[in-house]
Amino acid sequence: MNSFFQELRGRFGGLIRSFHSDQAGAISILLSGSDVRPIAGFLRAEYGARLVTVFAEDRVEPEGLFYNYYVFEQRPNPQFLILQVPIPADDRRFPSLAEDLPNVNWQEREIQDWFGLEAAGHPNPRRVALHDNWPDVHPLCKDFPIDQVLPPFEGEQHVYRPTLGEGVFQIPVGPVHAGIIEPGHFNFALAGEPILYLQLRMFYTHKGTEKLFERLPIRRAVFLAESISGDSSFSHAVAFCQAIEGAAGIEIPARAAVMRTVMLELERIYNHTADIGAIATDVGFVVANMHAARLREMIVALNEELTGNRLLRGMASVGGVRRDWDSAQIRAIRRALEIFEKEFRDLIALIASSDSTRDRLERTGILSVEKARALGVVGVAGRASGVDLDVRRDHPYAAYRGVELRVPVYDAGDVWHRMQVRSDEVHESVRIVGAALDTLPSGPWCAPPQPIPGGRCAMSAVEGWRGEIIHWVRTGPGESLERCKIKDPSLNNWPALVEAVEGNIIADFPVINKSFNLSYSGTDR
Amino acid sequence: MTTASLLPALMQLALLLAIAPLTGGVMRIAKARFQTRRGPGILQPYRDLHKLLKKGMVIPDTASWLFGAAPYVVFLSSLLAGLMIPMVAADAPLSFFGGVLAVVYLLGLGRFFLALGGLDSGSSFGGLGSSREMTIAALAEPAMMLAVFTVAIGAGSTNLSTVAHAALGQSWRFFAPSQMLAFAALLIVLIAETGRIPVDNPATHLELTMIHEAMILEYSGPYLALIEWGASIKQLVLMTLLVNTFFPFGLSPAWAAGGLPASLVWYVLKLLLLSGVIVLIETTNAKMRLFRVPELLAVAFVLGALALVSTFLF
Repeated sequence: MNSFFQELRGRFGGLIRSFHSDQAGAISILLSGSDVRPIAGFLRAEYGARLVTVFAEDRVEPEGLFYNYYVFEQRPNPQFLILQVPIPADDRRFPSLAEDLPNVNWQEREIQDWFGLEAAGHPNPRRVALHDNWPDVHPLCKDFPIDQVLPPFEGEQHVYRPTLGEGVFQIPVGPVHAGIIEPGHFNFALAGEPILYLQLRMFYTHKGTEKLFERLPIRRAVFLAESISGDSSFSHAVAFCQAIEGAAGIEIPARAAVMRTVMLELERIYNHTADIGAIATDVGFVVANMHAARLREMIVALNEELTGNRLLRGMASVGGVRRDWDSAQIRAIRRALEIFEKEFRDLIALIASSDSTRDRLERTGILSVEKARALGVVGVAGRASGVDLDVRRDHPYAAYRGVELRVPVYDAGDVWHRMQVRSDEVHESVRIVGAALDTLPSGPWCAPPQPIPGGRCAMSAVEGWRGEIIHWVRTGPGESLERCKIKDPSLNNWPALVEAVEGNIIADFPVINKSFNLSYSGTDR
Repeated sequence: MTTASLLPALMQLALLLAIAPLTGGVMRIAKARFQTRRGPGILQPYRDLHKLLKKGMVIPDTASWLFGAAPYVVFLSSLLAGLMIPMVAADAPLSFFGGVLAVVYLLGLGRFFLALGGLDSGSSFGGLGSSREMTIAALAEPAMMLAVFTVAIGAGSTNLSTVAHAALGQSWRFFAPSQMLAFAALLIVLIAETGRIPVDNPATHLELTMIHEAMILEYSGPYLALIEWGASIKQLVLMTLLVNTFFPFGLSPAWAAGGLPASLVWYVLKLLLLSGVIVLIETTNAKMRLFRVPELLAVAFVLGALALVSTFLF
């Protein structure tokens, strides 16, 4: 690691102001100028580093500047590398990386919308997170009061790329959809049935969640973290708690780490099972879905037995978990998973033996390995397209350090393989839960309460069932938060959907979309 | 028309109107049981119709008279086609009016107007559904004609009553190659025409995958009731055509009080059996990729053509 610092100093001596290694598994490098391009290029080219996320922070009041944070990871190094880049308040511009790194396209535009910083040289600097009819406000800036009432929206509406040509037509779908899903607008350009291109418009459920964190006491903020994306309640809550624990230097008890691991895997199991059923339903193979629904019910009923909540809410807590399990509950986990796994195996066999289902799923909605890498696709969708990432293995947290983890990776990138990744992971999760329970130590399940000091920063990463979830916090005085950055894996993956549907027929869109099953709420925040 | 011929017409009319939704209800229940669900109850289609008939309607601003005309045409054309096929008696009430060609094209008329209604709604889903429906219809129709001709040649007439009488007169010869091939072709056409899996999914909420449902997405209230009812009658007509042509057991030769009850029992049994077959196909298959549907219909066409050829060979 030291040679790495020396090399950086040698190459970018003037640009680097200081190094700082925090306890929570991240190295921060504070730069002196706002141009991150040379050092980002160097990290990517020389170290094969991956840009995980980029986000901003308003420090105008205390320091007279904004910061941009560029989070890199370099496998197999378990530490994240965070470049902290100052942007002066009187010159609110930063150079855009989106030209080379399409995965920061939306994230840089979020910074533009929320902080009023300009991503100079961005190939498509239009609004994304705040829609075109928003007034000219930047709600994540500290000078924007959270209870400010905005005038009724009017003015420019979003302009879609026109659909031109003989026999080419446009089908707008949404933002309100049939079925119980969240809002998002899909604008298809079609030549008959084949899709020419798809334009996405998200952020209909933008709730200002990151701003909301700034007015909540930390212990209540855990509940807000649970509702960032309803189907990932526990993953987001754990990511948040880990960030706070990192900032405050709280060590969670070993028992709590195992319990968190078990519940994180239960969340993965019930969501993957539901997704497999939903994929089958979208191609009309309803029998499989009915069985999947039954199996999912087994797991959410188990969740309720363990936590009092079917979706594992109200269980995560800063310092550990909120309640302990008795031996009857632990037996219930083992018993339920034993029955579940057997029946899950039957379900997968049922789907695999249905030729008509396989015919629909194989080679449908292919996301190529190159495109997946370029777009920074993470999680299930990434692993089905050759992107070998898994936070549990790469940056172990909770009790994952102790378990051996097999990460399924395929190169085919079609709907079938996105389902295959899910089914492999369910088996893996069942195994992890069993292995974790074998090591479940007795003892406390929550660290004793201790004060959370202000002015501390920490980042945490959790492999939610969709993929990598990142939380970054800066604590404030009196157990408050100055900034909480949330990155849901969906944010990276939505643009990949656009690539995956191209050239497919419109009738296959629903199943392709379902095979990604991205969160609207987690994206929009 | 005398009273003597009016009575059968009224009876068959009542039968069509009453049994058509029931067939759908039975199939729904059977499907639910296969999926380990309880299902909505056998009478649900009637409740749906009742509910829709009571409701108000939302009509798109862009719609012309076509939008309002289509439901009536769909409903009446299916009903008229239903009066031209033998249901419980070999003598169909309106068989003098036309033969099997008239039946096929009456159903075609309904579909044509439904497609127009879908386009007329001005919604892009309507257009998508109409274009898909017509693509499939254009492929299903030739297959159906070939299969129907096979039967007609066997009986020496395209009049369905004559065909039924002929079938009753001779020994059952379903195992003749021409008959089996024609039956297989018509079964595929039946599935395609009634919008069932693997061609279309009647239970989906996904607008982008729909065929029949996409066309009628803008319809509501009584118009929707007429279309749904018409579609269920069309399904019954095709099913009846299939069971009575290839399995004429129990069919009463005429509308005589003596033969009718037994004939009705036989008819219901045959319908149940065919419903079971359709449900089984629906449950064990996923919906086909849209561009594979022409391949399936090509199979139906080839089966129909083989059936026709083999009538001259065997």
